[in-house]
Amino acid sequence: MLERARAPGTGYTKMKLFFRLFLALLISTSSVYAWSLFSGSEEGRYPGMGGDFTLQSAQGEISLKDFRGKVVLIYFGYTSCPDVCPTSLGALSAALKKLDSKEMQQIQPLFISVDPERDNVNKLQEYSRYFHPKMIGATSNLDYLQALASRYGAYFRKAEVENSSMGYAVDHSSTIFVVGKDGKLADMIQHSDSPKRILEHIRAVLGKNI
Amino acid sequence: MFKQLFPGLLLGLTLAMPAFAGTAADDIQVIDPWAREVPPGLTTSAGFLGMKNTGDKEHKLVAAESANTGMIELHTHINDNGVMRMRPVENIPVAPGSTATLQPGGLHLMLMMIKKPLKAGEKMAITLVFEDGSKKDIEAEVRHFSMENMKH
Repeated sequence: MLERARAPGTGYTKMKLFFRLFLALLISTSSVYAWSLFSGSEEGRYPGMGGDFTLQSAQGEISLKDFRGKVVLIYFGYTSCPDVCPTSLGALSAALKKLDSKEMQQIQPLFISVDPERDNVNKLQEYSRYFHPKMIGATSNLDYLQALASRYGAYFRKAEVENSSMGYAVDHSSTIFVVGKDGKLADMIQHSDSPKRILEHIRAVLGKNI
Repeated sequence: MFKQLFPGLLLGLTLAMPAFAGTAADDIQVIDPWAREVPPGLTTSAGFLGMKNTGDKEHKLVAAESANTGMIELHTHINDNGVMRMRPVENIPVAPGSTATLQPGGLHLMLMMIKKPLKAGEKMAITLVFEDGSKKDIEAEVRHFSMENMKH
């Protein structure tokens, strides 16, 4: 839009046009935002949340941008999590098995480890593929992960556990974040949801984004 | 004095034993014990079961052991507004007539330092230890995650 504003006219006309376009942009963005607050439409369902990121995987760097045109399913966890992560990833995997191959082509599952101290990229790749052959396992440094998790509304914190030889556990939220084909956060699937419910959530986002 | 009393006390206790209800191991009926298959490269997993107390007093599971693990701990999960916090518990009580269930997302046996990877379809021998020192040997069926989701 701004690019086009520079093309025609010169001097005053150019300024005026620029100002008008700016005003129009301001009005339209704010009204879309206001509308989203009332309607909860997919455009602004989670205003200010989500967004792009770059992580390390066994295949090298991956960015959310690489998956535009696909629905990305993101889960934050860690591999030595004996119960919560396998339960959620198992349910996600069961839901993915119900998708047909055309739907599956438009899906990218992503497991983000919030325990880079214990999870290296090779371990993550093996772990992720166990749950689904298409699932990518990725991680980064703790500061980056902390900032990323908070942008998505995920929570994790290393917790020293007394009376346990576990050393530490990672307290974490167990939500599947659904990013639409436009790269925007589109839905959140809660921990207790069954594979059937997960499938409904995924299909709803797939349908909206075609 | 104490030295003289001790054998008598011991004898008395031994004689009194049959008067009590059975040991915890006798009273606890184990329901559907299973363990989760371990994803490659990992040495931690979780075990689950139901414990029905058929006796008339409370029993507590205080520990579990297996030759195939370096350590088993009793853990629970607290779902704190969507944040899952895993913590050890000292014991798992079972009131008379009731059933305590260890299941995904809640109480579980945390299987640590697993020596031989758990493969779906295999059995894992686990010994449950109760508050009165009695023990119960169980065979947990190892299940792949897809087997547990079929049950939902």
